[in-house]
Amino acid sequence: MGSHDLHYLSTVHDRAHHPASKDPFSVLSLEAKKNTVLVSHGRPPWYGEDGKKLCDAFVIGIAGGSASGKTHVARQIVRTLGNIPSIVIVSQDSFYKRHTPEEIALANASMFDFDHPDAIDMPMFASCLADLKACKQSNIPVYSFSEHQRLEETKYLYGAAIIIAEGIMALHDPALRELYDLKVFVQCDSDLMLARRIARDVKERGRSVDGILEQYLRYVKPSYDNFVRPTAAYADIIVPGSNNSVAIELITTHIRRQLQERSNRFRAKMAIPQRLHSPGVVTPETKMEHLNLDVLRSTPQVQGIFTILRSADTLRQDFIFFVDRLSTLLVEYAMSLLPHAPKTVMTPVGVLSQGKQLDAKYVCGVCIQRSGGALERGFRRVINNVPIGSLLVQSALKTGEPTLLQVKLPLYIRRRDQALETFVFLLDAQIGTGAAAFMAIRILLDHGIRQDHIIFVTFLVARGGGISVLRRAFPDVKIVCGAVDDEMEEGWLDLNNDTVDGNPASSGRQVWVMRPGMGQIGIVLSAVLKKRRVLMLSYVAGDRYYL
Amino acid sequence: MATAPVSPPQPSTNRSHMNPVPPSVFTLPQTAQLEALYTIIRDKDTSRGDFLFYSDRIIRLLVEEGLNHLPVVKHTITTPTGTTYEGVRFEGKICGVSILRAGEAMEAGLREVCRSVRIGKILIQRDEETTLPKLFYSKFPQDIAARYVLLLDPMLATGGSAMKAVEVLIEHGVPEERIIFINLIASPEGLQTFCGKYPKLKVITGWIDQGLNEKAYIIPGLGDFGERRYCE
Repeated sequence: MGSHDLHYLSTVHDRAHHPASKDPFSVLSLEAKKNTVLVSHGRPPWYGEDGKKLCDAFVIGIAGGSASGKTHVARQIVRTLGNIPSIVIVSQDSFYKRHTPEEIALANASMFDFDHPDAIDMPMFASCLADLKACKQSNIPVYSFSEHQRLEETKYLYGAAIIIAEGIMALHDPALRELYDLKVFVQCDSDLMLARRIARDVKERGRSVDGILEQYLRYVKPSYDNFVRPTAAYADIIVPGSNNSVAIELITTHIRRQLQERSNRFRAKMAIPQRLHSPGVVTPETKMEHLNLDVLRSTPQVQGIFTILRSADTLRQDFIFFVDRLSTLLVEYAMSLLPHAPKTVMTPVGVLSQGKQLDAKYVCGVCIQRSGGALERGFRRVINNVPIGSLLVQSALKTGEPTLLQVKLPLYIRRRDQALETFVFLLDAQIGTGAAAFMAIRILLDHGIRQDHIIFVTFLVARGGGISVLRRAFPDVKIVCGAVDDEMEEGWLDLNNDTVDGNPASSGRQVWVMRPGMGQIGIVLSAVLKKRRVLMLSYVAGDRYYL
Repeated sequence: MATAPVSPPQPSTNRSHMNPVPPSVFTLPQTAQLEALYTIIRDKDTSRGDFLFYSDRIIRLLVEEGLNHLPVVKHTITTPTGTTYEGVRFEGKICGVSILRAGEAMEAGLREVCRSVRIGKILIQRDEETTLPKLFYSKFPQDIAARYVLLLDPMLATGGSAMKAVEVLIEHGVPEERIIFINLIASPEGLQTFCGKYPKLKVITGWIDQGLNEKAYIIPGLGDFGERRYCE
């Protein structure tokens, strides 16, 4: 039988979902936690200015005999790679087939051949891996070794830039082999594997040596000889099962080079703020009708609310109150853009009334943290018991790229079949550079949400900002806003208020504005300063709402 | 940046049961969404929890619409960026007056939009001898005469108690044109009578229904608002 631990490295967001203590994969989660890089580095944009995905995730297949050290190799790769944004290790063991009662009885009597390729649901393994490779979500099965059965629950995975698939049969199936960018076979002497297996099973599973040997001779050894070892022929690289640090070094160097090549190739197209909006560069006047915005009716009350929100003298409690009031109005307006169907009801007076009902199967919200949270109360006032997810997008310290730090999405979005019928309200305080909006929309599309089922709700849109690029990339997303400001500004917060939260990401924004390396920091800054207008920055909205 | 042009309150488009609608009557934009909200609260099988949630949504929209009839003045502020912005400031003090008991149900919605608004109350019931509406109780803020009054009553059927309430307010020194009547569902008959008597008073209603039945219930209506809100 294959390695009994599920070797699974959950992605950043997933670990947040499942505390390690409850996580059946906690062994490796803890292991992964040691790698703090995984948490601290977010995922950079994986899509271009046109909104389309730039490249697939990088997929590595690792095969080898039972106890040959596949997991060790996978972990060493993760560790040696160091600063990679997001990585997931998917184990073949998750894909054992659903068993009949007879098979379970055999399994309990140690008479079921878990080491045969037929024990693995290869089509499902391949389809999950294909989804992950295509940057889509996947809900992989969960297999219980104590019950010898696939459980009803599934494990949601999304957002890994690198995927490692490991298992004794990882190189066996042609459909799987098609998906790998790099194929690794861990070669180990049979006697060494047997020695490790005995040591492990006696110590960790309390098995008798006789039982282990019997199982080894009946299933494990024949399987290795017939199905596993021959797949070494497909490997790009064969790694020894011990003392393999040189081989690991070679592999990681190769992966790094591959990723770097991709990155160089796609960098010019990547949707990063500098390209979405360049401070100091005069952008041509964007025509409002091209932006196709749904702007809230500017009534005297809405104008008065905006005046209060824009004022520097507004007290925090007033700011919060009027933000809630404005967001309620915005969400009410946004809701009117959803489809409605006729419905007839009986009133208590005993008369039929012909009316309408919302014609949307699933509705949920996703806040772009932190400032999107300012719309949450209004959202809940309008949509009863609505699930709300969140995305944390921050600018990377050095590059100014938006990076994805956390993904917590409602079930409607995580399940692909439901995602197709789900309307999602994306909430953020403003669209400035558009970088966070861009990433959030891409994430929803990755999950199978239809573009015309996304309604972006925001207080302010900067006409000179990233909105026009966003519009071109995603023409069918509805964008509902309270007001449109002419000019985009960025960076003043960091100038006036650089100690707000001591968060390194805040100073990252400063770097973004100054654009180090151009040697014109002062000039760029003064250009930005001159263009300071009244835009309420997301940071400010977030700070004023929360801090 | 230029201040966006102010959009004036929209005249009523809810003409299917009343045409023309009196000029002092303003309805909410008659969207499919609003119709869906009304469909939920009209449905006799709607739970009390849903009735509360969805009627609150309509009430908030009505109050927001009502507030748009209050004056604003130009007001220049400084933004956190140090620039000036030409905005507007709300002018004039307001207070709410609810006609008991159903009108009380609209207070929560009012408070969500106007945080610490003062609220007066009026109890009007039909006098069993004369069958005319009679004032049983009223309690107002002392300076009510200096305030704009949002008069709250969810259902305008015959208009009898609403007119009595306005009469009481005028007796307390509130000018007719400073009263804004906020109402969920109105009957054409009630609107005709009410607006005929108080043409300067603005009526914000969510929906104009078909009419009244022999028991003076609004058709199709939603039954007894107070009963559904508090008891069922």
